[in-house]
Amino acid sequence: MADAADERWSELLRLTLAAYAEPLLRQVAAKLVRPRGQWPADELIAKGLAAVANPAVLDRRLKELDPAARQLLALIGHSRQPVWALGNLVEMMIALGHADGLKPAFDLLSAGLLYPYFTPPPQRGTRVQTFEQWLGFAGPAGLTVFTLPLIAGRAVGEPLPLPDLSQSAIRNPQSAMEADGLEIPLRLAVLWQQASAAPLRRTQNGGYFKRDAERLAGDKLLNNPPAEGLVDVPDFGFLVAALAELEGVLAADDSELRAAALPAAWEAGLAATLAALYADLPRLQTWNALEGWRGPDAMAGNPFPSAVLLGLLLLARVREGTWLRPAAVEDWVHTHHPYWAEDESLRPSRRKPWLETFLLGVAYPLRLVQARRDDEGWLVRLSPTGRWLLGPLTPTPLPPGERGRGEGGGAPPPESGYPQTLMVQPNLEIVAYRQGLTPALIGKLTHFAAWTNLGAACTLRLEPETVYRALEAGLTFETIRRTLEQHGVRALPAAVLESLRTWANKRDRITVYPSAVLMEFNSADDLNEALARGLPGERLADTLAVVVNEGAIDFKHFRLTGTRDYALPPERCVTVEPDGVTLTVDLAKSDLLLETEAPRFAEPLPRASANGRRQYRLTPASLAAARAGSWSLPMLERWFAQRAGQPLPPAARLLMVGGAMAAPRLQTHLVLHVAAPELADGLMQWPETRPLIAERLGPTALAVAEENVAALRERLARLGVALAQ
Amino acid sequence: MNNFHRPAANARIPVKLHRRVCLVQTEDAVLAEELLARKKLAQDIVGRLTDRVLLVRPGRVEAVVQELQKMGHTPQVSAK
Repeated sequence: MADAADERWSELLRLTLAAYAEPLLRQVAAKLVRPRGQWPADELIAKGLAAVANPAVLDRRLKELDPAARQLLALIGHSRQPVWALGNLVEMMIALGHADGLKPAFDLLSAGLLYPYFTPPPQRGTRVQTFEQWLGFAGPAGLTVFTLPLIAGRAVGEPLPLPDLSQSAIRNPQSAMEADGLEIPLRLAVLWQQASAAPLRRTQNGGYFKRDAERLAGDKLLNNPPAEGLVDVPDFGFLVAALAELEGVLAADDSELRAAALPAAWEAGLAATLAALYADLPRLQTWNALEGWRGPDAMAGNPFPSAVLLGLLLLARVREGTWLRPAAVEDWVHTHHPYWAEDESLRPSRRKPWLETFLLGVAYPLRLVQARRDDEGWLVRLSPTGRWLLGPLTPTPLPPGERGRGEGGGAPPPESGYPQTLMVQPNLEIVAYRQGLTPALIGKLTHFAAWTNLGAACTLRLEPETVYRALEAGLTFETIRRTLEQHGVRALPAAVLESLRTWANKRDRITVYPSAVLMEFNSADDLNEALARGLPGERLADTLAVVVNEGAIDFKHFRLTGTRDYALPPERCVTVEPDGVTLTVDLAKSDLLLETEAPRFAEPLPRASANGRRQYRLTPASLAAARAGSWSLPMLERWFAQRAGQPLPPAARLLMVGGAMAAPRLQTHLVLHVAAPELADGLMQWPETRPLIAERLGPTALAVAEENVAALRERLARLGVALAQ
Repeated sequence: MNNFHRPAANARIPVKLHRRVCLVQTEDAVLAEELLARKKLAQDIVGRLTDRVLLVRPGRVEAVVQELQKMGHTPQVSAK
């Protein structure tokens, strides 16, 4: 039965085939589908998708291929990663002795069993004219190809020309060390918590901001060696971050990496968790065991994915239980892998040993290998989990209906279960014993408790913030209590239970609606009727209901008398009456902000205006209350500009700041009336008369103080103007 | 209930829609008072719709949630 992952791959393949130019599509379909007539392109794609989902057809097509092409698909199958850099595949084919490493890949592209991988998926209009043309347009990241898990899975078991290094093997094994497979999931959980608190910021070229790089490099929980740390791993925190991105634990959001969801595979058990992490290894671009974090240089050639898979396959090639020295495996890789074998100009620093670091520092925590030490150093061999993940190296017949190996086929090693593994202490600390931890339990604990120590026994701490985060993610007090009780070695302390209950209850005391729809009805009866008709809202007041999701409102029941979007700037909805103090509100345009702001500086009038609009009036008392409530003149001016579209009326200004201005004075003046405004202008401008004019009252009226009348009369007389009484 | 004022079963109910509103609803009126007394919160709260419902200034919801958390509350953020 097709699952969601199958459907995703199938959809990607459909988009990719649709991006082939029609002649190329027909050429590929001729080998894959064998059409009997001239079918339309859409039908060819549909038939192609059906063919690659049919194990019997696939087995026939695989048999028709050259062994080298089958080996290439088998390598992909052994890796469990359907997406590979084309360069890495070519490197592996050359290492296996095929002088032209590109030919098998090209044969598979032509056979419709391998496809160009585009990120993002190809859009309508993108066309691959020929594979030669596509090969010629490698970007800075190189070319990437993919196949379907089922195709690669059916090829697993194809004999690979790898040597049996048993001659250098050490027999007589004594005790074998094997990790519990939880080290990396635990560190991913720690990183998820850290990114939940503060996202990691990325620079434009793919590096980290200095502060975040220091966090990844220096954080003890991320970087401390495991309890049984066999080897120092360079930049372990960066490795965890790279895996977190590949696992979807961290998701890129603009220039930040934010905490996303913990992997779904964790719920499916340890085997599924390790399988997902193992499949990430070929996609690991920013970290390798030789240099650690590669940072912004990560886009350059990266031979490690192919070298790592070859190393693991060499371990799989020897008889089960046989120990090998990492150096013996690395010797073969360096002798045959073109990156090390053919590039004589390679810097000495790139020739340093690295496979032991990978096997003991990455493969061992992932439970791919077992290890032991003798006088000469470390020995490794594949663990049962490693053998299961890599799949068989020899043909083992599969019935046509069964899914291939290497993509979930076969049975993983059994998992031991000690459900009671948590000791919850009254001081809110949780001790988690490793032998009973599972990825699913790690995931649950990660949501509601903070990891404080990773070791043979891990510790966590229950905190209000962590419990709050869990409740936000959908957990409830009951689910948290049940988890702790189910996995606790003893009863949950009453103090812990009480703290959890308090935090959970406290959360229920305040609800924040960040972007809700508020429905304002004309009457309580209307609201009752709306609720009776199934309005998915909560009553807030007699005439108000809040709805979280507007899409859930069935609008056929409602007639909108007005709408207002609070993400938009405030709307003009107020008319100022000629008296300057009466405000009339257009209810169809008004909003809640206005209805909460206006009463702060104006008094609602008891009756609505004639057209049913609401009215407020500014009074000395209402504006005194506004001043006391921290409303200032600029705020009021801004409000009138936004809501009425006009400046603050003089009457309103008088009421608002009149009391704070200088006291008005009553003075006796004589008013000089002149015949024309020009004459008044002259009197105001001529230096002889200007000081004698107290104020211009109008175009032809000037105020003159009584004591200046004589002087004015005398100066006007000089002009021949007689001042009439 | 006074059925006289109820709209007919098939009649459309008149309603005014306020979209993308940010609200804080408290368990009781005393808690709402407590929030309003917090100076940093008060400046982001533009009004009180009911004794338990506060209207938050547009675009200030994250600051309000952070301030509530600083006060020791664990508000339930109700998003679709």
